[in-house]
Amino acid sequence: MARVLLKNVTKKFGNVIAVNNLNLEIKDGEFMVLLGPSGCGKSTTLRMIAGLETPTEGEIWIGDQLVNDIDPTKRNVAMVFQSYALYPHMTVFGNIEFPLRMAGVPKQERIKKVKEVAEFLGIAELLNRKPSELSGGQQQRVALARALVREPQVFLLDEPLSNLDAKIRTQMRFELKKLLSYELGITTVYVTHDQVEAMTMADRIAVMNKGILQQVGTPDEIFYKPKNTFVATFVGSPPMNLIEGSIVEKEGKTLFETEYFSLQLPNDVPKAEKAILGFRPQHVEVSLAPREGYVKGNLLGVEKLGVENYGHIGYGRLEIVVRLPEEIRVTRGEIYWKPQENRIYIFDTKSKRTIYG
Amino acid sequence: MTPKEREKLIRRIWIVITYVVLITFAFVYLMPFIRSLVASFMTWAQASRYPPEWIPNPFTLENYQKLFRLELFPRWIRNTALYAGLIVTGNVIFASMAGYAFARLKFPGRDAIFSALLSLLMIPMFVTLVPNYIIIYKLGLIDNIFGLSLLGLTNVSSIFLMRQYFMSLSNEIFEAARLDGCGPIKAFFYIALPLARPALGAVAVYQFLGSWNAFIGPLIFLRSPENFTLPVGLSFAFQRSMWTEYTPIIAGSLVASAPTIILFIVLNKYLIRGIVITGGKG
Repeated sequence: MARVLLKNVTKKFGNVIAVNNLNLEIKDGEFMVLLGPSGCGKSTTLRMIAGLETPTEGEIWIGDQLVNDIDPTKRNVAMVFQSYALYPHMTVFGNIEFPLRMAGVPKQERIKKVKEVAEFLGIAELLNRKPSELSGGQQQRVALARALVREPQVFLLDEPLSNLDAKIRTQMRFELKKLLSYELGITTVYVTHDQVEAMTMADRIAVMNKGILQQVGTPDEIFYKPKNTFVATFVGSPPMNLIEGSIVEKEGKTLFETEYFSLQLPNDVPKAEKAILGFRPQHVEVSLAPREGYVKGNLLGVEKLGVENYGHIGYGRLEIVVRLPEEIRVTRGEIYWKPQENRIYIFDTKSKRTIYG
Repeated sequence: MTPKEREKLIRRIWIVITYVVLITFAFVYLMPFIRSLVASFMTWAQASRYPPEWIPNPFTLENYQKLFRLELFPRWIRNTALYAGLIVTGNVIFASMAGYAFARLKFPGRDAIFSALLSLLMIPMFVTLVPNYIIIYKLGLIDNIFGLSLLGLTNVSSIFLMRQYFMSLSNEIFEAARLDGCGPIKAFFYIALPLARPALGAVAVYQFLGSWNAFIGPLIFLRSPENFTLPVGLSFAFQRSMWTEYTPIIAGSLVASAPTIILFIVLNKYLIRGIVITGGKG
């Protein structure tokens, strides 16, 4: 087990910068999730830790060893691939045994270890099957077993759940977390584009976009203290509402003004000629009758998600999304809303960084 | 007629046309073979008659008897088998290694070397025949099955086929192997080779067919009758100074092609897969 340290790591593919000057420390035993849209450099980062890609610049440390020049065969990291990458010509036993065989572990010990890990993951009865005879969930477990069997220092997972169907995915999500964090305490780097996976599994999340690390923090920090509009909108569903406008002071009140409406903000919000107001759909109060401080809007339609319903309110080109309380059953017409004062964010228009909230 | 019936009729007409075309071509391609089969039971006098006759009259086994009376016939079969065996073994070993290197390893000049190799496919064998002859001659291996085999131990099309196959395998499997502790050589033996069985099968079958039927090479590089392969031996045995006895040659060719035909029937899925591989992703 070991910590992983990335120091000023840059990876270029020709003219494309996949990862740009990344600094990240993954603590010993930590479950770190790299989160971002496809092409953000998260997989490249993972592959650099594994040694499948060499960084163009920067240093990668595993434990207290600089691993830049160490071949992946000797790094003692294990990886679970999106496609599982099981060896199709070997049985489940052969697959799990393979890393031990390559490491020259004696046969008796190999058999013992394979059986142990198979018992542990509940696949002991599958040992004689071929990967093609297994379900997606079973293949996933075999891939995990193959990675776990040699007790790696670092465990890398590249979107391991994305090939499973929704139900098994939810189930595996918690199982994986339980296994890797609570039972084994292995240093884990987990790549995903699914923010729900990131929020539910991570000790800390590193959000990346276009090769640049946006923010690192606990799921709560990422959700409640986003550093910029990218993090704010990428995490959370439906995404945070962002509205451009100006923050002015009128008659001792701080107002956020747009061409469609003006909204009262807490007085400690810094004034700005141009700013972006952000608030999550879940942090809005809604009323069917006009109320003091509420903004009038025209409900375009409602998305029903069972427990939660989201209303779309239109103002010309601008559309905002709010969560509707269960008792509100209308789907069209006039509606009044107001973001909760302590749950609003102000972002700088140019840098997109958070300046309030 | 309702539109549905019309559609049905049109479909039926299409099927008929398709079959007529296919049967015609199948017949055109099968004709020489059928002719050989029939002629192998005819006397030379009847077989050479014009217009051609299709029913052996008198029916004779004489051609086959002549064949098996040849003292060297078993020896030629042995030689051919040895030659084909060497070629197949050589191709399976070298093409799989070279194909793996071109598909999976990174080394400077890889793609340039591969392109150069591919361009060899465009060079007709007759261009290289004389230089090859000189090389084998200087090595003192003329009139020697091993010398002849040396020229065919590997083959650009086999390398190409193996490379395409290795490229079609998932990259992640090889990366997984690498993380599991496999260097490139271990990955070749433990992962690539076992997975390449279908492609190796295709290479083996192609090379077997090619070498078993080879004529020009053995004709030029082999001299003494006891070293001949079957195709050369047959034409040698029945060529008289002024004329050639074709019917025993035909009978011999049929006997000689028996293994290839059996091989084709048994392994034709590999052959087809070979075509699919080369035509596939690249």
